[in-house]
Amino acid sequence: MAEREYVRLTHTRSRSVFGIVSTARSNLWLGIDHVLCIETTGYTETYKRFYYRDIQALIIRKTESWKILAAILGLVAALFGLIALFGGDPIVAWIFGSLGGLFLLGAIIDLAAGPSCACYLRTAVQVEEVPSLIRVRRARKALERLRPLLAEAQGRLAGDELASRFREWMAAETGAAPGGAAAPVMAAEDPNAPPRVMP
Amino acid sequence: MNSPLLCPRCKATLTEAEVNRAELTPCHSCGAPLQVEVYPALFRRVTPGRDGEALVVEDEASCFYHPQKKAVVPCDACGRFLCALCDCELHGEHFCPGCLETGKRKGRIKRLENERTLYDSIALALATFPLLIFYFTVVTAPMALFVAFRYWNAPRSIVHRTKIRLVLAIILASLQVGGWAVAIFFLTTRAGSHG
Repeated sequence: MAEREYVRLTHTRSRSVFGIVSTARSNLWLGIDHVLCIETTGYTETYKRFYYRDIQALIIRKTESWKILAAILGLVAALFGLIALFGGDPIVAWIFGSLGGLFLLGAIIDLAAGPSCACYLRTAVQVEEVPSLIRVRRARKALERLRPLLAEAQGRLAGDELASRFREWMAAETGAAPGGAAAPVMAAEDPNAPPRVMP
Repeated sequence: MNSPLLCPRCKATLTEAEVNRAELTPCHSCGAPLQVEVYPALFRRVTPGRDGEALVVEDEASCFYHPQKKAVVPCDACGRFLCALCDCELHGEHFCPGCLETGKRKGRIKRLENERTLYDSIALALATFPLLIFYFTVVTAPMALFVAFRYWNAPRSIVHRTKIRLVLAIILASLQVGGWAVAIFFLTTRAGSHG
């Protein structure tokens, strides 16, 4: 059997924690030299490729939406539970009890999945949100699988070397010499600078 | 781009203390818990694009698009000579802008493909969803069969995907068409026997 070109990195996820009813879904696949992000509506697929050699940074930002979702699901479950308890009619109790149970199950699954997050992938030309990584635990697992592929494509830097390179890079980006005052840069010194009116 | 590394929430420039930590670290500006990993590509300088080199000797090979510029490479798709400006390199292959555009439009260069229609999902949806209101299947079942047969060999998803949806769509739609045929046959024969 021929080897498959892509290996699944994440399962298909809705574009947000609250997107239970949404049809827009996203997932990630690992290719030979790139990460493939597939966004699907169910009937069409859109592809975005992030080449390992181009990925500059991965950012995970923990969000609070998992708590909000769990609270909403829990409240609805409690409401249905109360109706089931004090509704009187056994049929009403069964219907609302079952619905309450479903919402409670949703809340438990949400809490068990752990903290939610937003994940961003930075290249030289874009900062792209990765919609399929919406849980911290899953994002870290994906990161674990990506790390060796990125190291293979870009090389590996030791911790202190990376820190010093980052300091140098920050100094160059912000225009400040490391540990010193910013050196004034004249527009005329840059041969690639577009023509401009100086203040 | 090579702009500073920013907090995705407050857009404050991240510092060394917030980068490459094993755990979530609060942003120094907004306090959002962040885990930032940077890789060597961040420090790589972006090389500026090359210009075409002007012809020096008259009989030198020149660019197809710029006759005054020296050819440096042939297009891997059409064989036209290209100068450094027209040479679009794509993972070791060289294309002229025309072939790159055609390859993208016609799906010949798989790496440039950024959208596909999932005809198998469409066929399956046509064969299943209308079952909720059964009368619609008189129209949708033949449509599902048409889509399934018409796009049997069309490329499916870019990642591995079997033909199971198409097979299911054909089976379900065939059953629906068969059901309608039987129903119409009985209705016409009963009407005939009463008449």
